[in-house]
Formats: sequence, C-alpha cells, structure tokens
Amino acid sequence: MKRGLVIGAVLLALLVGVILVAAMLGAERLPLFDLNEQQRSILYDIRVPRILLGACVGASLAVAGAGLQSLLRNPLAEPYLLGVSNGAALGTMVAFVFFQSLELTRPILAFAGAGLATLAVYRMAKSRAGMNVERLVLSGVIVTTFLSSVIVMLTTLLDAAKLRSFTFWLLGDLSQATRNGVYLSLGAVIIGTIVLMSQARALNLMMVGERDAFDFGVEVGRVRMLVFGAASLVVGAAVAASGSVGYVGLIVPHLVRLSVGSDNRLVVPFSAIAGAIFVVFADTIARTAIAPRELPVGAVTALIGAPMFIYLLRKN
Amino acid sequence: MKSKVKGHNSRFIVMLVMLILSGCGGVRNANVADTTGSQPVATSRVVTDDLGRHVTIPLRVTRVVSLAPNLTESIFAVGAGDRLVGVTTFCNYPEQAKSITKIGDTMNPNMESIVALKPDIVFVSTASQIESFTKTLDANGIAVYVTNPMSLDDVVKDLFALSEILGNSENSGVLANFVPELKREINGFRERMKNETKVRVFVQISKEPLFTIGKQSFLNEVIDVAGGESVTNEVESAYPKLSKETALALSPDVIILSESDDNREPNEVFRNSPAVKNGRVYKINADIISRPGPRLFGGLYQIARDLHPKKFPVPF
Repeated sequence: MKRGLVIGAVLLALLVGVILVAAMLGAERLPLFDLNEQQRSILYDIRVPRILLGACVGASLAVAGAGLQSLLRNPLAEPYLLGVSNGAALGTMVAFVFFQSLELTRPILAFAGAGLATLAVYRMAKSRAGMNVERLVLSGVIVTTFLSSVIVMLTTLLDAAKLRSFTFWLLGDLSQATRNGVYLSLGAVIIGTIVLMSQARALNLMMVGERDAFDFGVEVGRVRMLVFGAASLVVGAAVAASGSVGYVGLIVPHLVRLSVGSDNRLVVPFSAIAGAIFVVFADTIARTAIAPRELPVGAVTALIGAPMFIYLLRKN
Repeated sequence: MKSKVKGHNSRFIVMLVMLILSGCGGVRNANVADTTGSQPVATSRVVTDDLGRHVTIPLRVTRVVSLAPNLTESIFAVGAGDRLVGVTTFCNYPEQAKSITKIGDTMNPNMESIVALKPDIVFVSTASQIESFTKTLDANGIAVYVTNPMSLDDVVKDLFALSEILGNSENSGVLANFVPELKREINGFRERMKNETKVRVFVQISKEPLFTIGKQSFLNEVIDVAGGESVTNEVESAYPKLSKETALALSPDVIILSESDDNREPNEVFRNSPAVKNGRVYKINADIISRPGPRLFGGLYQIARDLHPKKFPVPF
C-alpha cells in the first residue's frame, strides 16, 4: 500500500508536469510571461481547454478499460475492442446526421450507443456455462465490425465536406474542445471513477471468480450493471468529445497493474491519472508534429500503443 | 477610371452569360470536315490529355460520361450537355444534369454502370482524386481523358480541349473564338487588380474541425487574381486541417466561407479577428469555389467584388 502511495504521488506529479509542458508547446510559440490579448486567447481559449479535455478523455478510456478488464476477467476487455467505442461513435454519428442543431444530443446518444453495445456484447458472450474469454473477444469483434459497417453506411448520407469532418473526428480529434465540453467530460469521468472505485473491492473478489465473489456476499449482478453503466458513461462522454481514441483503455491499465499489482482500489484511480498523461502526451505530438497542420490524436495513440502492447505481450 | 472598370466588368459578364447560354443551346451538326477526299476516311483520332496520355477517340464523339461535377459543368458550357449519358451523383448543375443517369459518386463510380452505357469517352478530373479508375477503364477499352485543372488558365484550356473533342464544324468556330477571349478577359482582370492592395483572406472550408485551403489549392490563384492573398498559402497540402492557434494568430481581414450545411459561420477562434469585427465575412456556394469549372469565373468575380467593393460599384 505504501508503495502504491508513492507511485500515486509520482503519477500525479507526472500529470501536472505533462500538462505544464503541453501548455508551453503548440503551433504558435507563446512567451512564458506578459502575454498580449491574442496570446492569452490562444492559451486560455484554445490550448488549455484542449489539454484538459485530452486529460479527461484519457482518464475516461483508461478507467473504463480497468473496470471492464477486472469485471470480465479478460486482459483484452477494452472499450475499443469490445465495441463500446463504436457504439458511442454510432450514437454520435446519428446525432451528427439527424440532430445537428442540438449540442447535447451528441453525448446523450453516445452514452446510449455505448450502453447498448456493451449489453449486446455481454449478452452474446454469456452462455449457460458462464462466460469465457474466447466468446467475449469474439462477440466484441463481431459487434465492433457490425457497428463499423453501419457507420460506413451512414457516411454515404454525408456530403463531401461533412464526410471530411466526420472521418477526421472518427480517428480521434481533440481540436473541438470547448469549455462546456471539458466540464461535461470532467463531470462524467469524476462520476465514473467514483462509481468504479466504490466497486473496487467487489471487483477484486470477482477477479477470482464470480461464484467465489457471490459466496463472499458480492451482489454480482449489481456490480456488473454499475461497472457497465460507468464504463458506458465515461466512454460515451469521451467519444462524443473526441471520437475514437484507441489503445488507451488497453495499454494503460496493463502498465498500471505491472507497477502496482492488481488491487483495483489502486488500479482504477491510477489508470485514470496514467490515461490522462498518455493522451495529453499523444495530443501534444498531434498538435505540434506537423504544425500548423494537425494529426488526429487517435493515430498517435495507436502508433505508440500498438508496439507497446506487442512488447507487453511478449514480456508476459 | 471608374467607367473603364465598369466597361471591363460588363464585358466580363457578357462572357459569362455567353458561357451559360452556350450550355443550354447544343447546336449539332453531324458532318465531319475534310474527310471527303479519295483517301480512306479516318474513323478515329488521337488527342493528348492533361497528363500527356495519348487517347484514341472516334471522330464524332456522341456518348460521354463525366466523373466529376466540374467536368459536367464544362461539358454543358461548351454546348455538349446533350451528349452526356452518365454523370456522378455530385453533378447537380446545371439543372439538366440532375436527370442524366448516375454512375455512382465521384469517389466510387460504378464500373459496370459505366461500361453498360457504352461511352465513346470518359472524362476524369484529377481534382476528384480518382486517377486509379483510369486504369480499370483503359483495361475495358474505354477512352479515358484526364483533366488536371490547377489554375484559371487550365480551366480555360480544358474548356477549349473539351470544345475541340466534342465540338463540330458549326459550333466549334464560336467556341474557338470565345475561349481565347475568356483568356484575355482573365488577363485583363489580373492586370486590373494587380495594383490593388492585397487583402489578407482566410478561406474556411469547414468550421469544425477547422479545414482551410493550403499551398496546393487552385483557389490561391483565384484569390490572388481577385486582389487578395490567402493567409494559409504556405501551409502544405490542398485542404489542410489547421491548428486553431495558428488560425487565431493569423487574424485575417476577410473570411470567405465555402458555404455548406456545416460551414455557415466563421469558427469561434475568429471572434476577435478584423474580419469578424468589421463584418467582412463572405459566403460563396461551396459548389462554385470547389469546382475548377466554368462557374469558377463567376466565383472569381464575386471574390474580387467582396475584397474590393469600391472597385465594383455596380451590383452584379
């Protein structure tokens, strides 16, 4: 536990550091002091909201990954691979195509889409004999590809200009950060993390096995609904704000478990912090690598995440 | 000075009207000149397209497919609209184009539909980035003519080439006269606007995410001829996604919106720009400024009038 606290402190310090460095870097070079009106606007209206949104999105995806992995006792359970992200993406797209004028429909439909996709995967994976790893991954892949094809079909309804915006957003894009978007994501990730942490002890028991957890007095069904609900909430908010940013929910909880063990009371909050660090770092690259143009942040997280995952796979 | 400008304008307008009228006419004459001698009558000829490819076409081209909206408009403009047997779903102008058989959209033309139409020639524009289809059509023995309009002069050149390929003895004389004249008009325009102070223009292609025009866009020249300068003309690629920080720092004097559903107002980052503060935000139909075709000259006129209202006192 003491080691856990030290790691927690280090992670927090890292997060603060990465945010500060990110605030100093960008397409426009800003002085450290004595900013003029325009430079203040660049810093406070554009750069800082984007960094904070990136932190919220990273935290969201990582806690969702941590929660789902423990609940489903599956290291591959990740919002993207399980179809949760695509469910949210489809929800957002429906909002994008049919209810464009209403700003709030995006996160609401994203949440609904994420929730439905999660339930669908879960119902498909569960058999009378319980749930095994293969069925879960298979269901996730099927739901993901099914939702992808629905998204592709819906894109045919878009005109050329909209298609370009949507494709970029689908790859993960934090450039549309607004103050309201940050508040919404922050609210979602705080609620989601609190819910997941409240279930951390139960999740620890369930990692041993659902039947054992049941014998210990864990209300398995309730825990399951709470974790699914929390994961859908945070992923819905993250996807509505930034599209599909991959690999965060997969890589981050694994790295956290490698350093602090598998106690969810530590894994959940630390994943939140580490996820925030990862996405803020990746988005700083997305913002600056080819400035004044921009890369989609999802491409950067995948570029870092995929080799890292292969490394972890070979190491274990 | 004023009257001179006015005179020049009206000539320009006359040219445009001619261009539009000629599109509706469609004078036809089946005779092929100079093939009545004792020599064997040639049944085909070879023309060279914008990529330098040698294309063998029949002497009398009667069935034409256009794979780009700018080409459809050009074909109507040279008076051969009635020979179009297939167009894309994007081809929405002129009105008659809407009732022609659709062969898919510009990005995904349907090969079977094209082959089934038995066209003498298929016109492709590199502006729609589907050069790859050229090979497939070539392999099917269908003549493919690729246009590569990168400038106003290229647009005129392509109009001329189209009138040559599609024209006949009766109307090609008219076209042969009016195309060089159009060229002279553009040069006159260029000359006229040369000494004007260049207005700093930002062209917004989409509001969120923020897309603009870059170094490789043909609109740079249009804006230049119209007496302006694109503030993003140093940014790589034709339609880059621009950092909002850079966009804010550029503080343009004029914003031109390529008007479409999700691009009807300037991005939030321009809130304090001179363009917004002075009410110098102008909309131009996206179809007009995204298509290097005959309507681009009207777009040029509109941009010039927006940039230098004092030079164009007569409402158009």
